[in-house]
Amino acid sequence: MLRARSLLPLALGLAGMIGAAAPPVKVGATLPLTGSEARIGGFFKEGYELAFEEVNKAGGLQVGGQKMNVSLTLLDDTSTQATAVSLADRLVNADKVDFLLGTYSSHLIEAQSTVAEQYKVPYINGGGGATKIFKRGFKYIFGTISPVELLGTTLMTWIDGQQKAGKLPRPAKIALLWENTAHGKDFRKGVSDHVAQSKGAYTIAVDESFALDGKDFGALLGKVKAAKVDLFLADAHLPDYITMHRQYVAMGLCHKVVSYGARGSEKGAIEALGRENVNYVLSGVWWSAQLAAKPGPSRDFVNAFKARYGGREPEWFQALAYQSAKTLFTAIQQAGKVDREAVRQKLAAMKQGSLLPGGTLEFPAAFGQQAQNPFVLQQNLPDSGAPIIYPPDVATGTGVAPNPNCGK
Amino acid sequence: MSRGFRPPAPPRLLLGYGIVVAGLAALPWFTELTVYSHNLMTLAFLSIAGALAWNWMGGFLGQVSFGHAAMFGVGGFVAARILLAGPVPAPLAWLAGGLAAGVFALGAHPTLRLRGPYFSIATIGMGEATRLLFTYWEDFTGGSSGLSLPIQTDMKHHLYWWGLGLVALVAAASWLIRHSALGLQLLAIKADVDAAADLGVSATFYQDLVFALSGAVVGVTGGMWASYFSFIEPNDMFGFDRSIAFVLMAVIGGVGTVLGPLLGAVVFVLLRQYLLASYPQLYLGLYGLLLIFIILFEPLGLTGLWLRLWRRLPWARAEA
Amino acid sequence: MERFIDLAVSAVLLAGLYATMAYGLGMIYGVLRVVNLAHGGVIMAGAYMGWVLHGRLGLDPYLSIPLVVGASYLLGVGMYKVLVRHLPRGAAGGPASLLLLFGFWLVLRNAAYLLFTGNDQSITTTWSTRSVALLGTHISATRLAVLGVGVLVPLGLHALLRHTHLGRAIRAVAQNPDSCTLVGVDVERIYTITFGLGTALAGLAGLLSATIFAFNPGSGSGELLKSFVVVVLGGLGSVLGTGIAALILAVVEVFAILVMPSYLTAAVGFIMLVLVLVIRPGGLFGHRVLG
Repeated sequence: MLRARSLLPLALGLAGMIGAAAPPVKVGATLPLTGSEARIGGFFKEGYELAFEEVNKAGGLQVGGQKMNVSLTLLDDTSTQATAVSLADRLVNADKVDFLLGTYSSHLIEAQSTVAEQYKVPYINGGGGATKIFKRGFKYIFGTISPVELLGTTLMTWIDGQQKAGKLPRPAKIALLWENTAHGKDFRKGVSDHVAQSKGAYTIAVDESFALDGKDFGALLGKVKAAKVDLFLADAHLPDYITMHRQYVAMGLCHKVVSYGARGSEKGAIEALGRENVNYVLSGVWWSAQLAAKPGPSRDFVNAFKARYGGREPEWFQALAYQSAKTLFTAIQQAGKVDREAVRQKLAAMKQGSLLPGGTLEFPAAFGQQAQNPFVLQQNLPDSGAPIIYPPDVATGTGVAPNPNCGK
Repeated sequence: MSRGFRPPAPPRLLLGYGIVVAGLAALPWFTELTVYSHNLMTLAFLSIAGALAWNWMGGFLGQVSFGHAAMFGVGGFVAARILLAGPVPAPLAWLAGGLAAGVFALGAHPTLRLRGPYFSIATIGMGEATRLLFTYWEDFTGGSSGLSLPIQTDMKHHLYWWGLGLVALVAAASWLIRHSALGLQLLAIKADVDAAADLGVSATFYQDLVFALSGAVVGVTGGMWASYFSFIEPNDMFGFDRSIAFVLMAVIGGVGTVLGPLLGAVVFVLLRQYLLASYPQLYLGLYGLLLIFIILFEPLGLTGLWLRLWRRLPWARAEA
Repeated sequence: MERFIDLAVSAVLLAGLYATMAYGLGMIYGVLRVVNLAHGGVIMAGAYMGWVLHGRLGLDPYLSIPLVVGASYLLGVGMYKVLVRHLPRGAAGGPASLLLLFGFWLVLRNAAYLLFTGNDQSITTTWSTRSVALLGTHISATRLAVLGVGVLVPLGLHALLRHTHLGRAIRAVAQNPDSCTLVGVDVERIYTITFGLGTALAGLAGLLSATIFAFNPGSGSGELLKSFVVVVLGGLGSVLGTGIAALILAVVEVFAILVMPSYLTAAVGFIMLVLVLVIRPGGLFGHRVLG
């Protein structure tokens, strides 16, 4: 006991000598750790924390000749906008953080980023993909998350290929269902813009929005059923995907292509819906753990993540959170000082290797400093999980269309 | 009941009122308020004004509304639309938002003949229907992706005094309503609608009037809220939780009393801010417990509790 | 035509759930004249009870009905004894009872938050996605089962009220508590039992809806408002009235998609609630009491 006590000051002193002499770089963030987005808020937290631990373990950031540790002040915004704003205010003005990382989901980010812009604090987020956020002419917000519009476009590009190969009818009738949020509207725009330019290859027979956290999609699906469409393209968050698809299956619906936008291969969904009911569902995501098949940043990340979190595989949420934090660190090192304006300029000019599909991360001014990396399409297949089927250079499997389940 | 008779406020009360308002107005110059506490107080002012106005309906008239978020949202979006449309001074936009909210409140006219629980339930229905309709009305509210206003740092700073001014006005109005013929008529309606009607007090007219006034004030706070946050979204502005907040602030502070809701709002905002940072998952339940406690043991809320303590004090006893 | 049958079938399936949801609320109001604003909270609690029993013990939700109903009954008895009993009755108790039970709802919501987090949950069994082919359309097996329970339970309660001593006592208290005291009926006991029964029904409704829809601690306000619509439309405790009203609400909600965008159909119930309240302000809850 005595010995332990006498060792304590020594240990502290050592830690002080080993650790950076300079005060740490203070980064603040809020995440929805309770409330409707709590699950995903937890994923983002994992990504952020991993990035911070890695840097500190490696002795901190090299900032203008000295090593500096990084500290993260993380608060819970309870998935509500007013709270996300007030807490960002608190982080900047009371906790005096140097930089901000973003929360999750578009409407919280749109509200919260106003604080960052107001006090001129660089704000990097990987959780708000709506283009609207980046069309306000803000100079301090940076998005590592590509626009949802691009997801719709990528999906349609793959479908084009299948149609040209004669696997899907031409013209094909589409049911387009989108959640009434900025996310859903972007998806809708991506798909319908593509349809408009397709010279009659597609018609949109159902174009309906639904409320986030919907209870009952029976009537909506009834409309889809009556319209006798070929392609079922929806954009939903996870709980709505589960509720809607459960009703979809129970109503005996089946379409040649089925997609719920970014959802489809989640473990939770497969458990809730049953493996056989989610087969052939197509999903487009910002990142997939399968990108680790080739050596590179994705593989490094997956290995580090598995080592830190008991062998669990990360999803795109953790990857984008991790990448956002890493990008901030890179910019701070490039700037060589803990200065908001200098870091902002480095971020705006950034062109850096990343774990995102496409490899390079930049924040083009033409897109309001939102990254424009491609999506990867995955398809749930009966025996091989959910391989990447598009784009071809990273594909780990071959996509199937039309859905072989129909007509069984 | 002598119509038109309005007792002047006792000088001591007037003096106290003046000192408090002036003191709060001067506070940012005398003490080192951090930007964060400055902003927090601004938010508290907006909540106080809303709670006081809710109390005109829920306390003075006894019509407990679970739908005041509807007026808050209408005020906020009308003000935001005006601010987006052109160079209009923000206070004018807020005022217009308030007017629109007041007119919108008149739309509730048919439900005002309902009393007690029926009225409350109808307000839940109206509040939720309003939220859905406005979320769907994209051209006006921007739909679920909301509206962004240009950022003005000065505005957020100055809102402190605008908010304080609004509170000063609404608090004075509360006192005047309570101590005027109007207040007595409202009390009569609250106690017994039919008897009040027999005495020639038109319940419908006064209820319309009070609901519109209360809605207008809440609408103005909605407009200021929009300016403060620079981004508003219908699901949040019209949300049921916001309606609940008005009820909680007023009831915890002391429903039907003149300044109880003020007290309730201060406690609500401070507790909320503290709890949100440390125990975000606890705050609603704590308010629920407070509500239960207050209804069962102290219907006048914190005000009632304060009065009880006050009477125990020796000098108060001597004065009585 | 096929579309019409589809919609009609969905409406009927939904109506069973609505009837179960509303019957408890109507019963409590009919006897105690208290609007149970915590009704939505109890529905949410019932959903979680079923979810826990299914997740932890692997109990099929339909086998856990007796457990959930029993637990909800006890919850109701507790609510009555600890909270509702201390309220002034009659008109004066109106706003107070509303706020009190609302406070309890917040506590329930928060408790669920702390216990189960805010994530959406649903009860999924092996037959959640099964369907039965009927009338040329697919009918979800779960929904059919919910309809079955939704029809049987109110009928059972009706029989209880009609043909047992307890039932007669409850009806008598509903009509005139004062004279019941005179003839030696223990009115407090009847109140306790009625509140328990009404709450038990809400718990059951929660369990049933959890097998179809996703839920989280914030769930229940929509269910509460729908229950109001049904009670106000259908009259108090009348099984037939409740059934018809539930069917009307379900039909209007489901068929609304034919004339309006899907997003707005959620508002239909709320608008109906206000309309019904405004149009029938006098005999709000109908004049028939528990018959």
